[in-house]
Amino acid sequence: MIEQLGNGLLLGLIVAIASVSLSLLYGVTRIVNFAHGEIIALGAVLTLFFSSSPESSFLYLDRFSPLGSSFIVSSIASILLCGLFGALLELCLFRPLRKNNYGNVAVLVITIGLSIFLRHIFLLFASAKPASYALDLQKREDYFGIQLTPRNVQVLIIGSVVMILVGLFLTYTKTGRAMRAVRDSSELASVSGINSDYIITLTWIFSSMLAGFTGIIQGVINNVRWNMGFLILLLIFAGSILGGIGTSFGAMFGGFIIGMLVQLSVGLSFMDGHTEAKNAIALALMILILLIRPQGIFGSKERIS
Amino acid sequence: MKDYKRYIIAVSLLTVSFLYIFTSNETGVARIFVNLLTFAGIYGLAAIGINVHFGWTGLLNFGHAAFMGIGAYTTILLIPHALGREGVVIETGLPLPLAVIIGMLAAALLGLILGLPTLRLRGDYLAIVTIAAAEIFRLLIRDFEDITGGVYGVIQFSEALQSLRPNFITNLATSIEVSSSQLWVGVITWILIIFTLLFLNRLQKSPWGRALRAVREDEDAVRALGKNAVWLKLQSFMLGASIGGLSGILLAFNYGTLQVSTFVPVLTFYLWAALILGGVGSLAGPALGAVIFWVIISGTDSLAEIFFENANGQQLAGVRFVFVGLLIMFTMIFTPSGILGKKEELLLDIK
Amino acid sequence: MTSNKLLSVSSLKKSFGGLQAVNVDSLEFSENEITSLIGPNGAGKTTFFDLLTKFQNPDQGNIFFEGENVTSFQSYKLARLGMTRTFQLTRVFEKMSVLENMQFSGSSVKNESISRSLIKGKSLNNFEKELEIEVDKILELLNLSHMKYSYARELSGGQKKLLELGRALIRKPKLLLLDEPLAGVNPKLAEEILDIIKNLSIEGINIIMVEHNINAVMKISERVVVMAEGKIIADGEPEAIRNNENVIEAYLGKVNE
Repeated sequence: MIEQLGNGLLLGLIVAIASVSLSLLYGVTRIVNFAHGEIIALGAVLTLFFSSSPESSFLYLDRFSPLGSSFIVSSIASILLCGLFGALLELCLFRPLRKNNYGNVAVLVITIGLSIFLRHIFLLFASAKPASYALDLQKREDYFGIQLTPRNVQVLIIGSVVMILVGLFLTYTKTGRAMRAVRDSSELASVSGINSDYIITLTWIFSSMLAGFTGIIQGVINNVRWNMGFLILLLIFAGSILGGIGTSFGAMFGGFIIGMLVQLSVGLSFMDGHTEAKNAIALALMILILLIRPQGIFGSKERIS
Repeated sequence: MKDYKRYIIAVSLLTVSFLYIFTSNETGVARIFVNLLTFAGIYGLAAIGINVHFGWTGLLNFGHAAFMGIGAYTTILLIPHALGREGVVIETGLPLPLAVIIGMLAAALLGLILGLPTLRLRGDYLAIVTIAAAEIFRLLIRDFEDITGGVYGVIQFSEALQSLRPNFITNLATSIEVSSSQLWVGVITWILIIFTLLFLNRLQKSPWGRALRAVREDEDAVRALGKNAVWLKLQSFMLGASIGGLSGILLAFNYGTLQVSTFVPVLTFYLWAALILGGVGSLAGPALGAVIFWVIISGTDSLAEIFFENANGQQLAGVRFVFVGLLIMFTMIFTPSGILGKKEELLLDIK
Repeated sequence: MTSNKLLSVSSLKKSFGGLQAVNVDSLEFSENEITSLIGPNGAGKTTFFDLLTKFQNPDQGNIFFEGENVTSFQSYKLARLGMTRTFQLTRVFEKMSVLENMQFSGSSVKNESISRSLIKGKSLNNFEKELEIEVDKILELLNLSHMKYSYARELSGGQKKLLELGRALIRKPKLLLLDEPLAGVNPKLAEEILDIIKNLSIEGINIIMVEHNINAVMKISERVVVMAEGKIIADGEPEAIRNNENVIEAYLGKVNE
């Protein structure tokens, strides 16, 4: 089990950041965004496209060849583009739906359609097979008894810093506080002079950038796949429900636990020869949580029914 | 829109669809036709199950593939079959009708298990849990190879159904040069659709159906009037799940082999596209939607050829699903009542 | 503690975050009276209603209905015992016809079972026919007969209030809890609704209502309970309440307007 601890920390971090981004979006817009996983994948796929050498052949269409930029520049550009994409989604799709009073259910079904559309666009234009970034291979080393590559350690540090910055942003900046105000009550927020359309757009941008970042580090740790968003989305849901939907701290905590659990379960004896089923354990835990404490660990009861 | 106008649109769409098939294929039109109607029928039946959930009761089920799969696996494993990598033959088994009933009950039971924790909660939770259940189901089937055949699947079970095939079906199939076993599955499918629709029609107009519509609109008001909304939702969920189970069994017989790759989570989205296209809440809408949906889907294959030279299976599937996604989005945005749905009873403003 | 009264509560408490929304030590409702629950906005009246009908769970305390401790009952079970409520924001089934709204409310749980609905025998059909006669009577009483086959969404605000009342009546409740039955209703219709409520009381249905229209409350209530900040601050006959200093203070003179 201990040999899985490093992987557990990494997946825990990824699911935690992704859960915060989904949970914030849900809190502010009330949209259960099934396409969130695809924004995560977008970050990974764009970075792959920007950073791979022009000769690599993971793209189906010969017309496009990768740009071969440096990895850091590619990542930053991808995160910014994810933010832009989030803004476009809000301006061209979700704001018109909101103004025309489409109900939550209709919007949920539309995000499902959007996710299927985007996911298969990735299948067509990017890697059908798992692809890796053009980064040198590294050996695992021993850090306080935990096996990690130096790059994994960098990812853990950067990820933790991002998470702390997000927390500070939500707590101390004017915009972050406004987001939380809209989340807690959009009516109240509009009374106190907050422009909720503006805040919602900012939330889309912020949440999508965070999602894109998650995709990139997921790509660094594992690989880039067209359907990587779908699986991680299920883990995010499990994490958010465990922590309590609508609370940023709960989502962070729940996401981390779920990510750890998925990796650590590989080491359990009854899982011998059943490694495929590791995700099933996290999802089964989610259903169990809903049965015994549906509001999650940190959630309040009023939010769930 | 008046009722008759909707039907005129439906009939013209069907005509155009069939004309398209006849004109775009020079040879083997009958074979393509039987293939299309059989698949459309099975998907239509499955979509009718989702319609009971979503259209009648407002429940968001995005894991129908799991209900279909559990119905199929339960039934097929109970009748004579061959299993897994070595193809272990199991010659004994239950009679087919009994196995089908047990398969449908198994699907209903899964509905009960998933419904109990979630139907007390807000609607999105059911969406999340069902989508997760479909993924769990797929992982478990793959993983427990001893019981399910894993990725190698189950074969040699078709005899249980094909031995019941009457001679005139075989003769008809020979004369129009189509697969007799597929024609038989297709005929059974459409007969079952008719029976299911008659059965549901009776239920929809009954006090039970009325209670479901009340639940769909306002659960609190239902509670205030002394009705157990959770139990009503649970019944609806189990009923729709068992219809899904039945369609899964037919799908297995149509393929002739049982593969875990048949019941992947995305299968559910095909069904949603067919349902939304046909008209959420209307009785015959899902079946009609499934037929038109299949024509559109077969059209996307020729579209894929434009983008990709010698498109492979993955690219064909990619183009198909890009269209499925667009279809779901655009129908939901622009004509949310679909072809046959009543605009007055649309679910748009449900919580 | 048990009681022979119709409905009673003891040390009922509910808070949201730090805010004590309801804190009622003891309150009893007896048979054959119209009781009105009044109080300034945010006094906890609707929350108290929600607790009584179990639409929200109290943090502590007990609720007794006809001497039985019903604190752990779910809302629909309470409704089956004969406690029917309406809502502050009217909740009719907008996409069903007026007739269907009434039929749904009136039909028994037995008739709504899936097996009975499927077999649909003679007895079910007879029940439905009898039910429709019952519906017609109530629609007649409420002046809604002409809207019988309309979608409920086509009704005016006041008519929706009437339909909600009718939907409660067809259940032949012992106790009717009305949450602002006159809100948003024009004065003429308000008079009609008041008359209907009064007649119901004469026919033996017990009524508790939350209402802001003080004149109406004073006119038809036999007893008035005043709430402020979650607590009961006065309880008595309308005349006594009108002159109670606590009440005047809570309302800042609003009563005498």
